[in-house]
Amino acid sequence: MSGIYVESGCCWQKEHISPGECPYIQEGEQELLFSQKKRFLRRCLDCPRFIEDLVSMGDREGGGLAKLLLPLVIEELLDLRVKVQTLDRQLESRNREIKFLHEVSLVLQTSVDMDEVIAMALTAVTSGKGFGLNRAFLLLVDKERQNLRGYFAVGPRRREEAAVIWQEIEEHDFTLRELAQNFFENKMPSEREKFRDLLEILSVPLSRGDHLFVRTLNEQQSMHVQDLFREPDLDPAQVEALGVRELILVPLISKNRRIGLLLADNFINARPIATADLHSLKTFALPVSFAIERASLYERLQEELLKLTEANRRLKQQQELIVRMEKMALVGRITSNIAHSIRNPLTIIGGFARTLIKNTPPDDGKRQYIESIVRETRRLEDILQEVLNYSESLHPTLDLWDINNLLTAVYAGLREDLELARVECLLRLDPGLPQVKVDYKKMSYCIRSILTNSLEAMPKGGRIEIRTERQGEYIHVALADNGPGMSPETIKEITTPFFSTKERGSGLGLSLCARILQGHGAEIDIRSAEGVGTTFTISLNIPAAN
Amino acid sequence: MPRLLVVDDERDIRHLYAAELEDEGYQVETAGTGAEAAQLLQEREFDLVVLDIQMKGESGLQTLQKIVQEKDRLPVILCTAFSCYKEDFSSWLADAYVVKSSDMTELKSEVRRLLDRGKE
Repeated sequence: MSGIYVESGCCWQKEHISPGECPYIQEGEQELLFSQKKRFLRRCLDCPRFIEDLVSMGDREGGGLAKLLLPLVIEELLDLRVKVQTLDRQLESRNREIKFLHEVSLVLQTSVDMDEVIAMALTAVTSGKGFGLNRAFLLLVDKERQNLRGYFAVGPRRREEAAVIWQEIEEHDFTLRELAQNFFENKMPSEREKFRDLLEILSVPLSRGDHLFVRTLNEQQSMHVQDLFREPDLDPAQVEALGVRELILVPLISKNRRIGLLLADNFINARPIATADLHSLKTFALPVSFAIERASLYERLQEELLKLTEANRRLKQQQELIVRMEKMALVGRITSNIAHSIRNPLTIIGGFARTLIKNTPPDDGKRQYIESIVRETRRLEDILQEVLNYSESLHPTLDLWDINNLLTAVYAGLREDLELARVECLLRLDPGLPQVKVDYKKMSYCIRSILTNSLEAMPKGGRIEIRTERQGEYIHVALADNGPGMSPETIKEITTPFFSTKERGSGLGLSLCARILQGHGAEIDIRSAEGVGTTFTISLNIPAAN
Repeated sequence: MPRLLVVDDERDIRHLYAAELEDEGYQVETAGTGAEAAQLLQEREFDLVVLDIQMKGESGLQTLQKIVQEKDRLPVILCTAFSCYKEDFSSWLADAYVVKSSDMTELKSEVRRLLDRGKE
């Protein structure tokens, strides 16, 4: 178009113009000042002077045709320009949406942690970088309890909180991903507490097919409620708890399975919710549903795996136990054979020696030799008995007994000895204790051993207390004396087996008790303070089915 | 004079028990197996039986069952080297259970007790 001059001298004729010559060019649009072509395309078509000039040009130069066509062309051009601008905006918005969904999906697809997924989803709904709604609630379907359970909520609870949160977000300028991560790592537990009561109110049993939440879920259609206060299918308590007019409900469905329900509102600023928002949320719901389902399946898988590992471990334990018991049974059989083989000869040797003594006068020199035989035979028999007890203790015969009765019986058996030693014995037995599984004979032996031990430690008299009580799954039997007590070294000594070369008894005593109790699956605790006394506490398991 | 039957497969034990129990003033006969014991019990009347458990052939517990079935008023003392039989239900059929020992005091007192009881 260069080279055409017209008298009017409007700026469109020049290649370069100076600022201010064209009223439609603003500051910052320098490039338009230097290019005629660009000016034509962008500004001149809006300028009435230019249109006038064109029309008058058409008038003059036999431009009847031009006069006709030009306005049409201009109109079309303007139209197209508007369309392009609209499309441009739409494209931009679509791009943003895609980018947003992509970012969200990345997290949703790769995470198997339920809470991480939920943190991402709800942050996306409520943050300005996402959908920008004030609050979001997540209700999940609980198949076992057959209800729609309020699981989580995100957003400010009160206006003051909102201001703080939004300011914080602005200051840090997190990306959506960072926001979600920050939320998941730092805020989740406290947020859960914050909305606990509200989430409970929002929970609904699945059987209530007419309830708005359940209906939305069953029909698999999103809902946009404009006025909650007029909504008949909600409980008044729920409407009041929500405290908003406008609410959107998005069902979360994965392959026709109902996963949950997403609720969102603008509780703080009451900004109306756009249909576009609802539409976007629906698209967004798909990966969310899938991710939640996958995360919950993963959780279940973990649980089952744990159970399996545990069961396996217990099986192995039992197998080991069986092998051990078989070995012990073998040992038991061998030991009993040995016992039989030894006992009979001992009985014969000692028995005949005693017979001889009866017929040997006291002044006969040989008598003391025979007495030695009797004495040593006796010793051997005692040792044999202890050894048998020891091996038998590996294999207790357990039955249900009342431990109080057992203790009373042992006490009765020791009454004479207690009186002789001037030891006072008190029984504080808890009535109504459940029965326990014990080997009556061996447990009695244990109690007797411990009490005898206490007796022997108090040659000048003293006091013993026998106490029973129940604590949870255990029955505690406490045998306490106020004797001289024992040092830690002594405690260790008496529970270590050794054979004493002194009088009766092989010295296995308390170590045998420990062994016996071990066989019962019971524990013994020895507390002692020198000068104060000693307390033996036996803890017995209460069998499960009583 | 009460008549006792001592059943044990060890010869020396039989001799020892016989000697000691005769000293106490009883008449004692002995048997080495359960079958022998059954035979003797058929032929004569006894007032008490001292029975060992671990014997070759028929065990003392089987003999015990037979005795209880046929002569339920006859007191039986089980005498054995094993202390574990106390928990065996079948040993409860016996009137007393004594662990073999060179000290026969317990056996003697049980014999006395059961014979005295029989007299009442």
